[in-house]
Amino acid sequence: MLSAIRVAAIASNTVREAVRSRVLYVLLFFAVTLMLFGIVLSSLSYVESERILQDVAMAAMRVFGVAIAIFVGVNLIHKEVDRRTVYTILSKPLTRAEFLFGKFAGLVLTIWLQLAIMVACFMGVSALTGAEVGAGHAAAFVLLGGELALIVAVATLFSSFSTPLLSSFFTAGVWLAGHLTRDLRDVGLRSNSEWVGEAGVWLHRMLPDLQSFNLTIEAVHGLPVTAADVWLPLVYGAAYTTLLLLAATLIFDRRDFR
Amino acid sequence: MDAADAIVRVENVVKDFRPSFGLRSRRVLHGISFDVQDGEIFGFVGPNGAGKTTTLKVLMGLIRASQGHATILGCDVRETAFRQHVGFLPENPYFYDYLTGREILSFYAKLSGVASRAREGRVSELLDWVGLSAAADARLRTYSKGMLQRVGIAQALVHEPKVVFLDEPMSGLDPIGRKEIRDLILRLRDEGKTVFMCTHILPDVEMLCDRVAIIVEGRVRHAGATDAFLGEGEPEADLVLAAVPADLPAQLEELYAASLRGHGDRLELRVREKFVQDVLQATLGAGGHVVSVTPHRTSLESIFLHAVEESSRC
Repeated sequence: MLSAIRVAAIASNTVREAVRSRVLYVLLFFAVTLMLFGIVLSSLSYVESERILQDVAMAAMRVFGVAIAIFVGVNLIHKEVDRRTVYTILSKPLTRAEFLFGKFAGLVLTIWLQLAIMVACFMGVSALTGAEVGAGHAAAFVLLGGELALIVAVATLFSSFSTPLLSSFFTAGVWLAGHLTRDLRDVGLRSNSEWVGEAGVWLHRMLPDLQSFNLTIEAVHGLPVTAADVWLPLVYGAAYTTLLLLAATLIFDRRDFR
Repeated sequence: MDAADAIVRVENVVKDFRPSFGLRSRRVLHGISFDVQDGEIFGFVGPNGAGKTTTLKVLMGLIRASQGHATILGCDVRETAFRQHVGFLPENPYFYDYLTGREILSFYAKLSGVASRAREGRVSELLDWVGLSAAADARLRTYSKGMLQRVGIAQALVHEPKVVFLDEPMSGLDPIGRKEIRDLILRLRDEGKTVFMCTHILPDVEMLCDRVAIIVEGRVRHAGATDAFLGEGEPEADLVLAAVPADLPAQLEELYAASLRGHGDRLELRVREKFVQDVLQATLGAGGHVVSVTPHRTSLESIFLHAVEESSRC
């Protein structure tokens, strides 16, 4: 049974570490700069300049959000072990699962905080250029938050047994593949080989279907978004994230800190 | 108190480390056993690489024993809840250096389950106790090594544990820092806490510890009361003589198997206590003077070196 107080203590300290770290501000600065660059880019187009602006800005939010999730996520456990801060923490009445869930929760909160700042910039830029912002955008931002939490869980899993460099490659690979699983499945099904078709279906089932978290097109083009478009991916993401964290806990629980 | 009532009990603990891509695992603890009694300062002594820190990590649940069993306060070390009563200072402790001294202690207090209304008071009390009140609101990255060591001791005590484990608590400290930590350890014993201390600084062990275990190459070679260790062997005495005639040193060496060191007509020698009277008479009879006679205590160092030599012969 996890203790909420101890998980919260680890989580709040993780947020505090991120807030006091300069690296994350640099990444956030680049994300906001890229969004502002969207204004320049959209001004070059005669048609649909607001849509181009929002497309670029939402892509920037996704790419930098994922970059921050991977960058911090893969170091989540490694840094604690490498700096040996984990020795004093795990000598307290705290289970390894509480430590891991606390670190995860803290990082997700940090990333959501940064996402909120990027959303505020997005709203500001949209207001400046007269681009419309509606419920579709809100749904897209909520799902982006869900996707980033899932990516942090992937990074946490790899971080529980691998080096930061390998973990970042693996996590980036899962993110890219996660956005392509539907295409992989469709390509497999169109193939003449039964084996390739099966492999495509299984890849789609095993890897996170991250494309279900992407409502950018619906938001930018004002297409209708149903409640199920939001809650189904969120439930799916929560279940997937929980499984990843349980796997990470099983691995982390068996580790020797030499 | 017998072994069954021990505060810390280690029974035949074996630890094998499996290299990542190696074929054979490496055994670093070969079935070690010892126990620590209530209210004592226990010294766990050994050369570098002997297995002291590995043993401590097994006790702290940071690594798992391959075989054997270890308990603290009667609880299996793989459990978590009993750590409410255990404090731990690792060797060269590292802390979140973006936090202040007050913040880090408050963080550890929260993890240890110190109630929120008592937390602030406890943290201030500890900062005062370890002499860090003036630097309480400075970030840890500005602290000296000695100050970090004191933060380490404070975090180990923040939840008022019954047993405190210290890994090389004096390492890297200057003489003043070492004296301060020694005084802190003695204060812990005065407060009724049990202290388990890993070290290779033998004078500190002689000065502080009630009981000692010597570990060499993953095996406990000796264990027992420090005083009993120091009283081992036949008693000897150190003598300093002056105005010694030239032929006397050779006579003393031959008759009393004395170990000698001469400077001109001055002679320093160590003899068994039963020969002291004879040596003094021989010296005075030959026209020499006696400068001093000091009883010699077997040092822990000689026992330790003997254990290491014995191990290398095996």
